[in-house]
Formats: sequence, structure tokens, C-alpha cells
Amino acid sequence: MSGIVRGTVGFNDLKLPGAWTRKIGKDLYEVFIGPQHPGSGHMRIIIRVDGDIIVEAEPDMGYVHRTMEKLSEVRTWIKSIPLFERMAIHDACNVTLPYVRAVEKLLGIEAPERAKYLRVLLCEINRIAAFLYGFGIFGVFLGHSTMYMWPFGDREVWVELAEWLTGARLTHTYPVFGGVRRDVPAGFTDALRKAIRYMRRRLEDYRKIFVDNPVIRSRLEGVGYIPRNLAIELGITGPNLRASGVKYDVRMNHPYEVYDQLDFEIPVFQEGDAYARVLQRVEEIKQSLRILEQVADWLDKHERSPILHDRFWKTAPPLYKKVFQEQGRAKLMAVYAILKVPKGKAYERGETARGEISYYVESDGKNTPYRVRIHSASARNALVYKYILPGHRVMDLPAIYGSIDYFPPEADR
Amino acid sequence: MPPRPVEKHVHPRGIFSRFKGNLEAIAIGVKYFFDPKRSTLIYPKEYIKLREGYRGFIVLVKNKCISCSSCARICPAAAMKMVKVPVTDPKTGKQRIKKFPVINYNRCIFCGYCVDVCPTEALYHVPYHDIVYESMEEAVTDLESFQKEPEYKTAKEGLPVRYIVDEVKGLVKIRVKKEGGEKK
Repeated sequence: MSGIVRGTVGFNDLKLPGAWTRKIGKDLYEVFIGPQHPGSGHMRIIIRVDGDIIVEAEPDMGYVHRTMEKLSEVRTWIKSIPLFERMAIHDACNVTLPYVRAVEKLLGIEAPERAKYLRVLLCEINRIAAFLYGFGIFGVFLGHSTMYMWPFGDREVWVELAEWLTGARLTHTYPVFGGVRRDVPAGFTDALRKAIRYMRRRLEDYRKIFVDNPVIRSRLEGVGYIPRNLAIELGITGPNLRASGVKYDVRMNHPYEVYDQLDFEIPVFQEGDAYARVLQRVEEIKQSLRILEQVADWLDKHERSPILHDRFWKTAPPLYKKVFQEQGRAKLMAVYAILKVPKGKAYERGETARGEISYYVESDGKNTPYRVRIHSASARNALVYKYILPGHRVMDLPAIYGSIDYFPPEADR
Repeated sequence: MPPRPVEKHVHPRGIFSRFKGNLEAIAIGVKYFFDPKRSTLIYPKEYIKLREGYRGFIVLVKNKCISCSSCARICPAAAMKMVKVPVTDPKTGKQRIKKFPVINYNRCIFCGYCVDVCPTEALYHVPYHDIVYESMEEAVTDLESFQKEPEYKTAKEGLPVRYIVDEVKGLVKIRVKKEGGEKK
């Protein structure tokens, strides 16, 4: 076929800068990017190039598939929490929280208020750490090794705080059914406030060296443009969706925990290109810092109170209460190991750093789930490569790949 | 006040933005060249003294154990197993079989469920994590070795440090005492 045809299917009346492709069957080269390429993570993108222009792109996922949904069917309810954490270990609390909430819904219980604030605390710490991780990878994609080192160094601050709170650097296993496992240690909120002030200072440094850097702007502006209706049609989520001008955030549209009582903004950028997605993440870090400040204030004002639901905590022997008062550790009751969840179905969603994650949990009254269906954010975002890569040069592929912040282990589950 | 959406726009480039942007980027680079923000851990010579409450290796206090098997039941990785041991009952003086947990560190994921579920606090975490086993068999503990705190060789050779959060420098490395609190 000669002449110019549109590469994207189903969007015929759109004049997408990225969707105009020349279909020349004969002179195409097929380039396999991944699955071992350091730039692609554990996934493969098969691109067909005409000279230097990408004509077709096929994301090929599934290299780190671990059958998590099936594995969860042979484990008791609580054992699935550390399992699902392995989807995105640096975003552990965000990823497991909807599962915990879905099971709580089936049990008919709700976490106490203090536990809700603590969950939000770790969720936002994880969110910032995950964004910084994404920035680091993005920086190294663009050959900007300073932006690789700085966010990874600053992420350490948040990892350190998370370790202090939960006892583990990454796989926190923090929320459990009916609450959380640990209360804030003494002196934690002061360190948190210092970290918030430090991060605000550092975001200014990032602006100077990366975000407002003319080289970076030239490489990102107008690249990987996702139009608003394409974003909605493909069902992409998270910062990528909001950078295309869609006002959707699970924390705002379907508030969970205490997000509806906190004062923060959901930034929405209209441009939809790779540069807008960078700015979107920077703004979201600022909002997460704002949430953390409010959570720190709340925790300072309120005394230590039980962080497990009464259904479990009322059976706590005196030793459990003593440990909780002295060490802030809510010990688990033996019933957690053999917990039987009433028959029913539950659906819960949450906002991770990369977008919306949803869990469908079905129980048939036994001590293992009948079915757990996970729909993760990265799995939804991965589709977009097929539609936005055509028309760009091969040089732009790392910029687009990095700006989507795709995380293969989360997509493959 | 609930969360609300706020529309934002990418700020357009001005006439001198290219010049200004380059200058700012170079300036910040020069600033950190003269005032670097280093927090490197010189690992074998220094080691991080982790806080109490860190989920490190697990140790059994045998005389507190009531053989309830909760730890083995809740273990997500099936690392903890119960072994049967003949004991003498202190009251009646009769021989009977009692169960105690042992752990396989090849499988353990350090989630800490076993420590948290133990009704008598018979298990506890040691706040260190960097231990090398020379073979896989060594990482499987028996009842004797599960009761001893694993030997922490790094602490014998290195200096203990800790990272604290600082407003300006981010993480700052400070020296701490080998036992107990922070050193000035």
C-alpha cells in the first residue's frame, strides 16, 4: 500500500502526531528490544522500523509471570499478603491494601481510625519511593546518569523511614486484616517532617538539573503523545492517564481509608506527552508530601490506641497488650493462621504509584480464597506502546518507555 | 477537605529559557561538586546497626515455647517446621513427645508473621541480616542452632554506623555504640 495511512486502529478521525505511519511491507526491519535489554526490563517490545522510524510496535509481556492468582488459591488468606507484595516490592503497601480491604469487606470489619492513618502513611511513603525509582530508571534511559543517582539516593530516605516503621526495607507486609502490624515508633514523625522538608528542597534541585534542563525538554516535549480519548479507550491508569487530562484518581473518585478527610489536590495535566508525564509525577510527589504532613500531625495529636479491629483485639491476652504498649507491635492472634472468610464476593480498588489496581476476591467459606483476580496498573499501561510508538524514531523509544513508568513484575503477576 | 482535581499546564519555554536552563543545570552540578552529598557505606569496615524492631534472623526461646504450632501454620513460605523431641515432664517426671519449631533460612522471607503470632513471645528477631552461609545445608537450622543467636561476624570486624534523616543532607551517617544508644 502506498501513501500515508494511520497506524492506530479505531481512531480514524484523530490526527495523532504519533499515529501517522508509512506502511511499507518490504523494507521493514524487525528489531527485538528485550527481554534482557537493560532498557526494557523483563519485557520485549518487537518493533518494525523503516529506516529509523518505528512503523509497528508490539509489546510482548509475560516474562516474569509467577501464577500469583493460582498460587493464592492454595494458601490461607493471610499468606497471600506477602505473595501479592512481590508484584511491586517498592510499592508494597499500595499493592496489597486493596486485597486486605476486600477480605475485610467479606469479614464485615473495618480497620480502626489509627490503623487507617498508618496505612495512608505507608502508602504515601511507598508512592514517593516508587516515583523516585521511576525517575531513576527514566534518567538512565535518557543517558542522564545524575538523575539516575540522585533519586535512588533520595529514595533511600523513604526506604529508611519505611524500615523504621515496619521492620523491613521493602517487603513490609504491613496491612493485615482488620488493621496494621505496627504503630509508629517514638521520634518517627520528627524524622518524617525532616524528610518532607528535605524532599521539597530536592525537588527544586531536580527541577534545575532534569525537569527544566533544555536537553531533557527537547527530548521529551511532543514525544509519546497520548490523546485524551485514546487514554480512556485503552484504559490506561494512574499518572499517565492524568497527564492526558482525565480527572481520575481512585483516591478522589472512590476514596478509601482516610483519603476523603485529607486536604490534597489531584494534579491533571492537559498536554499528554512524555514531558507532561514527568511533571505529573513531580506534582504528585508534592501532593504526597502534603498528605504525609497531615498524617504526621494527626499521629502526633492522638495517643496510641489499638490498631487491630476489636473482633481480633478483644481476644488479646495481657502479654499482647504489654508488647503493644512497650514496642508498638500488634501481635497477631492465632486465628489469623486458620481464618475462615464467609462466603461472598468482594471487589476493591486502590491507587498505586503506577495507577489503579483492583482485586476481585471470591470466598466459598473455606480457609483459602476460591478465586483472586488481580488487575494491575502496569498491565493496563503496557498496551499503550502499541499505539504511541509508531511514528517515532528508535531514539524516542527509551524516552517513551521510561515516561510510562512500566513495571514488568507488576504487569505479569 | 476532600481531594479535588486541579488543572495544570506545562509552562511554555521563554526566550531565554534555554540559556537559563543550561546555566541552572551547570550551577547545580558545580554546587554539588564542591559540596557533595555522600552517604556511602564502606561496608566491611562499617556496617549499619539496625534499629530494634528490625525483622532480621529469628531465634527461639525454648523454655517459653508451648508447642502450639501457630508459627509453622502461619508461615507463608513453609520455612518453619515442627520437630518432635522427647522431653521429660517436670511435674510428673514422665517421658513424652513435645514439638518445637525449626527454621529453614533457604525458604524464609522474613515477614515476621511467626514472631507476631507466637502467643508467648518465644520467638524474637535479632536486628541484623547480613550472614553468609557456606552451604544450603547450613541454612537449615536444627533445634540447637535455632536457639542460639547467629554469629554476626560483620559486627566483630566493622564499626557500627546508622543513617539518620537530615533536613539538608538527606541521610547522614553517624557513628553509634556497639551496644545500646547513639554516640555523639
